Amino acid sequence: MPELSDVGNEFIRGEIEQFVARPDEIERMITLFSRASPALQDVAAALIDGDDEAVDTLTRAQLEAGVTALEIMDDGLIAGMALVGIKFRENFIFVPEVLACARAMKAGMAHIEPILSASGIDPVGKVVMGTVKGDLHDIGKNLVIMMLRGSGFEVVDLGVDVSPDDFIAAIEDHKPSVVGMSALLTTTMPNMGKTIDAFVDEGLRDRVKVMLGGAPVTQEFAEDMGADGYGKDAMAAVSLAKGLLGVGA
Amino acid sequence: MSEPSHEPVDPVAWQQRVDRIGELFGAMIGTATEQATHRCPYKNRLDQCTAQFGCRNQRKPRSPGELKVCGGDDKLDYRSAWETG
Repeated sequence: MPELSDVGNEFIRGEIEQFVARPDEIERMITLFSRASPALQDVAAALIDGDDEAVDTLTRAQLEAGVTALEIMDDGLIAGMALVGIKFRENFIFVPEVLACARAMKAGMAHIEPILSASGIDPVGKVVMGTVKGDLHDIGKNLVIMMLRGSGFEVVDLGVDVSPDDFIAAIEDHKPSVVGMSALLTTTMPNMGKTIDAFVDEGLRDRVKVMLGGAPVTQEFAEDMGADGYGKDAMAAVSLAKGLLGVGA
Repeated sequence: MSEPSHEPVDPVAWQQRVDRIGELFGAMIGTATEQATHRCPYKNRLDQCTAQFGCRNQRKPRSPGELKVCGGDDKLDYRSAWETG
């Protein structure tokens, strides 16, 4: 059985030593990383560190060196994210750090997506996401985006304080199947309805499904605003998006 | 310079990876939901505030150029401190 010293990457060895306590997880992490090449351990280490630029560079280099997309996924991106999950669960890191790691994963995935496309594997669907005009709260939206991307969706993130015109421009530019809107404030919730009304005015409403979310949003409110669905959390949002597109949840 | 050719990805193998990522992220969403009951989700591991909006718990940064420090004590509901105007 491999031992910690068999993990070549010093940063990852330190992470396992410092943050993984359960014997079964220590064994799993050591097994996972000891079998990975030094270069893929570097990919995992950069992801764990939330360094999207390094993941970008290292992933591209590995693909150019002939390493397969699945090897990079298994021994670099997914392996790194598994350790991130443990650190998060044990309260060594928090949501902002996890989102940085997810951004790093996306940076690596950006190089793998063309290979998937060339292999005939298309995204589950394309989603445009934004927090509505007047609202700067983005954690919920960002977790939904992380979950959607992890489930195979392509997501265009419009950020916060997104006006109806910006949503409309994004629909025209990116041609998504689904538009997701988030709001945390009761004062900005009505802007979801105004944005949907703007879609109707522009003749775009039938081109997209609209899903709403955010702490004060309810199913009833979503229906009143003319949305196609409401997701109470990130998991529900993924199921809803799949349901709206008629793909298996 | 020509693009390097890459081995095609088997759709079944790919779906297995998507399922694994879904498991990992699903567990993280559970952790995030649980943590949010007692700790502001915008507060990073260095107790700095990553929010793009104002909050009464924000304190001056430790050094110029750094994020503001979160002064919340995690004992009360942090959401009432968020500035909504």
